[in-house]
Amino acid sequence: MRLLVVEDDPALARQLAERLEGEGYAVDRAADGEEGQFLGETEPYDAIVLDLGLPRVDGLTVLRSWRAQGMTAPVIILTARGAWTEKVQGIDAGADDYLAKPFSMEELLARIRALIRRSKGHASAEIACGGVVLDTRSGRVTLDGQTVDLTGHEFRVLDYLMHRKGQLVSRTELTEHIYAQDFDRDSNTIEVFVGRLRRKLGADLIKTVRGLGYKLEAP
Amino acid sequence: MSGGARRLTGSLRFRLLAGAAVWIALALALAGLVLSGLFRDHVARRFEAELTNQLDQLAALVELGADGAPLLRQPLSDPRFRRPLSGLYWQVGPGNAPLLRSRSLWDETLALPPDEVADGDIHRHSVAGPAGRQLSVLERAVTLPNGTAPLRMAVAQDEAELRAVVADFNRVLWLSLGALALALIAAVMVQVSVGLRPLVRLRAELAAVRAGRRKRFGGDSPREVQPLLDDLNALLDHSEEVVVRARLQAGNLAHALKTNLAVLANEAGGEAAARRVAEMRRHIDHHMARARAAAARGLPGVATPVADSAGALARVLEKLQSGGQGGGRVTVAVRVPREHVFAGEREDLDEMLGNLLDNAMKWAGSRVEVASRLEAGGMLAVVVDDDGPGLPADRRDAVLAPGVRLDESTPGSGLGLAVVRDVARLYGGDLRLGDSPLGGLRVELVLPVAAS
Repeated sequence: MRLLVVEDDPALARQLAERLEGEGYAVDRAADGEEGQFLGETEPYDAIVLDLGLPRVDGLTVLRSWRAQGMTAPVIILTARGAWTEKVQGIDAGADDYLAKPFSMEELLARIRALIRRSKGHASAEIACGGVVLDTRSGRVTLDGQTVDLTGHEFRVLDYLMHRKGQLVSRTELTEHIYAQDFDRDSNTIEVFVGRLRRKLGADLIKTVRGLGYKLEAP
Repeated sequence: MSGGARRLTGSLRFRLLAGAAVWIALALALAGLVLSGLFRDHVARRFEAELTNQLDQLAALVELGADGAPLLRQPLSDPRFRRPLSGLYWQVGPGNAPLLRSRSLWDETLALPPDEVADGDIHRHSVAGPAGRQLSVLERAVTLPNGTAPLRMAVAQDEAELRAVVADFNRVLWLSLGALALALIAAVMVQVSVGLRPLVRLRAELAAVRAGRRKRFGGDSPREVQPLLDDLNALLDHSEEVVVRARLQAGNLAHALKTNLAVLANEAGGEAAARRVAEMRRHIDHHMARARAAAARGLPGVATPVADSAGALARVLEKLQSGGQGGGRVTVAVRVPREHVFAGEREDLDEMLGNLLDNAMKWAGSRVEVASRLEAGGMLAVVVDDDGPGLPADRRDAVLAPGVRLDESTPGSGLGLAVVRDVARLYGGDLRLGDSPLGGLRVELVLPVAAS
């Protein structure tokens, strides 16, 4: 899953990025409204954390512009001013959730997980496919009840495919959603991760649709 | 000066009317005096002319008899000379000849004062006549042909007749002038009303601005008033700008503080730090809310329909809710009439209502209801009910104590009830807790209502 964090305070932005990367997300950062607006318009994010008090272009304007262009990724706003008026304005501008500063990181993580899950059409915190179960709250993956150890990249690939299970996911799309923007992408590595996942979770969980991409389906 | 008198003299309408009334009264009184005097002179001259006529006739009709005594060749034409005490008299004598007099004198004599009248001259006297009436007398001395000495001939008329005519005229005159004065004052009243209409409209506009129904004064007032309005508008602009700037600065400060707090909390980690951070945020929120409300209090032209704020908050909270006590969805029903308008800033109302609704939704089973009613003294009560467990009466004071949250277990996203009460009180309102007919807690937020 790939996230965008738009936050002008460098320390808070760094903390957010580090924590989110630690949770297995690919994270892009923008330090002002202009950059944030551009990234949100051009990159396919799975969720966006948006501070409302931004230099250059304020958060509400950025959000309205995204929604006006049909950007559908879930957005959680961070508010600090006249809290309730700002929350109402934020939601009316198209935000999906809000969190008042200072916030607890665990709370933010829970909200982001829930937003991503709902946006991909999953009601429950656990996504199952065949014998494989992904607990989105803990990031734990089990196969027939047994915990499976995955590396960060393996988890990102599986996480995205699980959220989109039953749907065809192209290699480009997969690449875009597991790597941050400044990462040196090599689409061949995707094949390597898929190969490892097949070894750990069973050969027929992830199907290759030749020339098109991958599809995760119960065998 | 009594309050009523001050109110009268302080009124432009009264001043204009009183001034006009004084001038009208003075002018008409003067006109009346002049007219009355002219008329009296005119009537007096007419009387005298008539008397002179009678005297001439008398002089022409008197001749000396064979015995040398004066006698009347034929009676005077005016019948009043023959009616006793008619008020019109003539007399020849007294002198060196026997007295000759009109029948109307009966047996009275005109008591002419001693006088030497040259032949041909006419003298005027005022003497007491029959029945104690004051008479105007014209006298001349005539030497008849064959006469040796001049005879005193006099004609007299009752002055009361003159006075009666003048009095009649005066009565009609003063009545007419009085009517004219009333008509003029009425005209002045109409003129003053028309002239002062812009001021009356201004007063209505002022009330509208104070009540928040209008933001600024219009630009279509008379030249004499418009500069005042322009200044007032500038003053309103200025106070609004000051408040907006103060709020922006407070907001920037809150943003900076809270962002740094978030960083600190993440660096420190741990339960104790999280509690401290929550505590600090509560302080910031509390004082920001107070500062905002204090800046906006009493600012004219500020009004927020309760329905707008409650509707928007209910929509957002329903959408984002994490569920009530049973984990199920909570519905918020807002039944607030559109004409219930809070005399204060939208942000402050959002802050107070947002916290009340947030609280209610956290504790509700499945329903939260928002209603409102007008109270005495220009106040408005916004009533928030929930169907949750409610709050025992002995704990209500405790949750209104500063720094205490209803829900101590989670660092909530808003202010405590104590802060809501604080802000409400800054606006001259209050916060009351009670039992809800839905079974849970009822919170009544009392706020000043914008005049309609």
